[in-house]
Amino acid sequence: MKTNQTDTIQKLLASRAGLPHIQTPIAKCDEEGGCGVTGFMCSIPVAGRHIYEPSVQMHNRGNGKGGGIAAVGLSAESLGIPQDVLEDHYLLQVAYIDPTCKEELEKRFILPNFNVHTSGMIPTISDHTAIGLEVKPPDVCRYFVRVKPDVLAAFIKEHHLETLPERKAEDEFVSQNTYRLNQAYYASLGDKQAFVLSHGRNIMILKVVGYAEQATQYYCLEDFKAHGWIAHQRYPTRGRLWHPGGAHPFSGMHEALVHNGDFANYHAVSEYLHQYKIHQQFLTDTEVSVQLLDLYNRTFEYPLEYIIEAIAPTTEYDFDSLPEEKQKVYRYIQSQHTAGSPDGPWFFIIARNDPYNDFMQLLGITDTAMLRPQVFALLERDEVQIGLVCSEKQAIDATLQNLAKEDPRFCPVADKYWNARGGSSTDGGAFAFTIKDSGKGDGSKVLSTENKFGEPIVLPKGQEHFDVKAPVMVSDKASSIEGEVSKHIEAADLSALKAYCMANITAWTFADVSAFCKAVVKNAGKSDTAKANAIEILTYLSDRRYDSGKKKLSSVLDMVRTTLTDIFMSFPKLSEKAGSRYSYIDWDSRDTLRSPEGNESVLVINARAFEPEGPNCDSRLMNKAFNLGWKHYICFGYKGQRFTGCGFGPKTTDVTIHVYDSSGDYLASGIDGLEIQVHGNAQDQLGQIMKSGKLVIHGDVGQTFMYGAKGGEVYIMGNAAGRPLINATGKPRVVINGTCLDYLAESFMAGDPLNGGGFAILNGMAYDEKGKLKAQDTPYPGSNLFSLASGGAIYMRDPERKIVDEQLNGGSFARLSDADWALILPYLEENQRLFGIRVDDDLLTVNGEKKHYSDVYIKVHAVALNKH
Amino acid sequence: MSDNTTAWKLPEIVETPSRFRNTIGKFVVKRNSKCISCGLCAEICPYGVHLRYENYDKSQRPVSHKCIGFKCKENSFYCVKNCPQGALSVKENPLLETLGDYRWTAEMLLGHFAMAETGEVPKVDLEHNLGASGGGFDKIRFKHPDPAKAVTLSDEEMDTSIELNKTGDDRPKRTISIPCYGGGMSFGSTALPVIIGRARAAKRLNTLTCTGEGGYPPDLLPYKEHVITQVATGLFGVREETIKYCPVMEFKYAQGAKPGLGGHLLGEKVTEAVAAMRETVVGSSLFSPFPFHSVYSVEDHKKHVDWMKEINNEVLVSVKVSTPTDVDMVAVGAYYAGAHIVHIDGSYGGTGAAPDIAKKNIAMPIEYAIPKVHNFLKNEGARDKVTLIASGGIRSAMDVAKAIALGADGVVIGTAEIVAVECVRCSNCESGRGCARGIASTDPELGFMTTEEYCEQRIVNMYMAWRKQWCDLLRSLGMTSIRELVGRSDLLVHLDYLDEQERATYQPAPSYKVII
Repeated sequence: MKTNQTDTIQKLLASRAGLPHIQTPIAKCDEEGGCGVTGFMCSIPVAGRHIYEPSVQMHNRGNGKGGGIAAVGLSAESLGIPQDVLEDHYLLQVAYIDPTCKEELEKRFILPNFNVHTSGMIPTISDHTAIGLEVKPPDVCRYFVRVKPDVLAAFIKEHHLETLPERKAEDEFVSQNTYRLNQAYYASLGDKQAFVLSHGRNIMILKVVGYAEQATQYYCLEDFKAHGWIAHQRYPTRGRLWHPGGAHPFSGMHEALVHNGDFANYHAVSEYLHQYKIHQQFLTDTEVSVQLLDLYNRTFEYPLEYIIEAIAPTTEYDFDSLPEEKQKVYRYIQSQHTAGSPDGPWFFIIARNDPYNDFMQLLGITDTAMLRPQVFALLERDEVQIGLVCSEKQAIDATLQNLAKEDPRFCPVADKYWNARGGSSTDGGAFAFTIKDSGKGDGSKVLSTENKFGEPIVLPKGQEHFDVKAPVMVSDKASSIEGEVSKHIEAADLSALKAYCMANITAWTFADVSAFCKAVVKNAGKSDTAKANAIEILTYLSDRRYDSGKKKLSSVLDMVRTTLTDIFMSFPKLSEKAGSRYSYIDWDSRDTLRSPEGNESVLVINARAFEPEGPNCDSRLMNKAFNLGWKHYICFGYKGQRFTGCGFGPKTTDVTIHVYDSSGDYLASGIDGLEIQVHGNAQDQLGQIMKSGKLVIHGDVGQTFMYGAKGGEVYIMGNAAGRPLINATGKPRVVINGTCLDYLAESFMAGDPLNGGGFAILNGMAYDEKGKLKAQDTPYPGSNLFSLASGGAIYMRDPERKIVDEQLNGGSFARLSDADWALILPYLEENQRLFGIRVDDDLLTVNGEKKHYSDVYIKVHAVALNKH
Repeated sequence: MSDNTTAWKLPEIVETPSRFRNTIGKFVVKRNSKCISCGLCAEICPYGVHLRYENYDKSQRPVSHKCIGFKCKENSFYCVKNCPQGALSVKENPLLETLGDYRWTAEMLLGHFAMAETGEVPKVDLEHNLGASGGGFDKIRFKHPDPAKAVTLSDEEMDTSIELNKTGDDRPKRTISIPCYGGGMSFGSTALPVIIGRARAAKRLNTLTCTGEGGYPPDLLPYKEHVITQVATGLFGVREETIKYCPVMEFKYAQGAKPGLGGHLLGEKVTEAVAAMRETVVGSSLFSPFPFHSVYSVEDHKKHVDWMKEINNEVLVSVKVSTPTDVDMVAVGAYYAGAHIVHIDGSYGGTGAAPDIAKKNIAMPIEYAIPKVHNFLKNEGARDKVTLIASGGIRSAMDVAKAIALGADGVVIGTAEIVAVECVRCSNCESGRGCARGIASTDPELGFMTTEEYCEQRIVNMYMAWRKQWCDLLRSLGMTSIRELVGRSDLLVHLDYLDEQERATYQPAPSYKVII
């Protein structure tokens, strides 16, 4: 059997030997940087316009010189063909840059080889400039085809592919035919004429010289439905492009791949592929990526896990942490394929159809060093499940908000958000959202989520989302809830109301939560104190983790956050001079900005319509407001706007900023004195070069957090992604209650912590679905802990001493002294005040038993490095 | 020309002799015991080699470095011939054999010492514009100009200024009065008086200097309008405040002298003061990573640029990159991301602290990179919107002019400025407590062998001597502004590509034997 398989592979490879090819130049056609990528897979078909909003919000990750989308699991109805034709036939899409070559091309490559079931030009809008496109996208003709039986038989005979299942031979024919077509009309020509966009079954790709969403607009896909969509904003550095041949996605056979990053070893990977008779035509990193995928998938028929291992090998400490059996297999894979493994920052999103096993899949794979941003999210309910993966969390939020607006079955808040740990032994740095037939016999699909090792991502069972379609909910507790709220809303101390909420929220129904929210809104109008308290209690319910009982937490959070937004929106406008402590300003009223008067003190900024950066961004407005005398800010409505808190300059200790919704990159980067609290998860590059001040994140934080920071007090409720605190100096003091993906505090240089230097506390805790704080499997899963650090320290909660020497590189372990504990205790106490994570009952209690701090925490300190 | 240039007056040249007892000269003049102190030599020498005080009749030790050497034989005032006692002799200075290297030859060093002392083109016959590298700028010459085209304007009327903001965005214009500004030298690598002296010179020359990556010493604040804040990969000493100070900020992505390697300050140079400025540990080596941990792609880079623009709403952004083979793509990417200045740094640059193997073997030589980037930007239609600055082994006035003719708007000067304050290029910048000349040192003693005033005036003098040479060149080419020279590679020839006869009409490439 094995020899047969090898033999078949050899024949398959040999069949490609005669294909014409160009000498691959060492350089790629265009340099391109990272980009913005987004994608989702849904158990029900979703219209193309829902990829629109996340694409628009990632414009600043592209430059409008290349955008593309792919859809998988298409709607036969929209295409005007029967379902079986959609599933059986190849959907060949040819882009005609020069439409005059169509007849000749068809005569050479389509009509003689294929039985065409249906063909036709993809409808477009009449004027590309109307949607802002400078370059007219190519005319695309779509052909539903099968290879003519006699042609296929001859192909099989010629290449001795009899041992290959006939359908797979047909796949190979289609693939080679496309290659020849591209060679004739694209790769061999200076003036490109035509190329194949995609040729898989039940999958299609479209791309333009423009932004990704313009592809959906131009090709009239806004109402077109499919299960899975991916989109890509490209950032080629060359400015003048006149066709989208180099844009993503690229297709292998039945898949579409988009890519964010840049390979350092493009030429080496190309050479590796040449050994398997695979040659390049479009000369981009993305093309070789999909060629690798196709080689491992279709030629070698590797299972997904091995494909991922071949592309992103597991190394170092993570490799050692794998079970022995896996190490053996992985070692074989690496010895064969490391030469073809892309080096450099990359993140792939792949949408694929597996017609042989009847599933469709959305994959996100990150490189071993996790150098590109990535966020995964999952929303599950009985009626609908959706998995999402994006470059930025804000794009996920945008997708869900957009979907929820039209279809109440979606919730704007996902049930779970997470990052992958590239090349790791914990999740393998890859996740797959797979949809299969639900088995109910009605054609409905069900979504499941697994990591690289096939381990499922499971959400808590037995919880319901809020059902908006249900008749108006009436809470039988409404009057008692209202009474409680009105009793406390003007109190000086809200702890009683907070305790009331915590005691009741588990048992409350959605109707009760709704009644509570309504009561808060109603009472907030009483006075400024009531407003402040309303914000505080709702923020508390949004930030804290608790047992939400039978209710999905995501639905509760959605209700709470929507209420908060309603309250913010209800504040008097800046132009009204209402005498309130709060004044509201938004994009439309931005010109009314003036100095605070009377007792006005809090500027409430609705960031929604502001640009993400540049002269028209909300951050610039805040700087102006600061110069006019405003010190306190509430900012909400974010959809990824960047640089919040930047540009205030030094000596700003009296400034506070509260940030709600999907805040963006670089928040608090450079702050020197002010305090920022982020209510929710935060994105990448926060707190860089931070000098002093306070930063509190009620959630997770993204990559390169506090790179080059000099000081400040920072509290993170959840996890930090890769490379936090690299090159930090001075005296930053950081508490991270979750864990970090990798490279924590590399090259840390923050003096002697006991003499005014800096440190990080890593608690390695996480909340379970009941809102209980628990230790994670390990406080720190990676290697490169405190690598090459020359100063500062890490205090790690590790009662079971799971962290080992192999994870260090230059640092060393020590027991905590009384001085150490005296140093960190005040920060843990502040942590307790902020997040409710109790020093004695949560942190120092291990398996129900209170322990001495030196048995719970361990110190990693710097050792003198070689002077050179 | 914008206002800050029209208001600018050429700074005053003040003779600033060497701070060491014996200035190195090309020739050595000796006086033996036969001297009767008659004073004739002092009377006849127009170069001031022989000094004599009014009220003191003993002859002084000859000021050798001012002697023009054997070519003086033809002069009636040749001292050796005129000395009634035959007490004087002139010979070549044997020290020259051990000084300098193939790129910075002994004569080029001495020529720059002389320019920094006098503010004039050296009177002594010193080849200060050509090295003996056997390639690059040393083989490139300006074509013989057409005498009919020459213009006659005074130096004051000539325009040597360049514009740093050509994007047409809402940020201020910024004109510098010479086509050069100072490269980054950090507090830590370089002595404080040198850093401040460079800034003072930049102010008088109406140009800029750069902090390098080591923080912003408060002593620089009086000159902040002329100081670039560098943001490099270690982010040492970079705070919002230091970015708010500067008119131009520079992202240092890479250095041509060591692309792919970050900065590296050895533990011994991390003194108390340096560690305090960088907020690090005394005596621990400091590494800047490569690359920026937050920038792995051009869209990250755009975000990075946007960040700086957000922190300082008036700052211009310069992006310094090295010269890989795809430097043209890198440059155009930097421009589209919103940079005002694209600064390409070729190989050959760098001080002794960069490893030789990196300096000599990785990046593309700057004379290749400049036209590659210039032409690529031109084809993109972006050349007029960005200021292209070149650096990396640009040593002399004519190197600057050649770089501009190849396509740069201006250049960044590092080494030449420290040669002006008497660096002898011994290449031991990184070792021990630092530099024997008190330049590349933060040692409490060594680091104060110079003064701010001395550094300032020597650097001003050198640039003024350079400016005279640019003015001469421009006049001979019939130009009145250095901006007219940009991209005029048609005015250049490379000796290797000329036929024998034509090559003979150009000054040959110098060839020296150097003891290294």
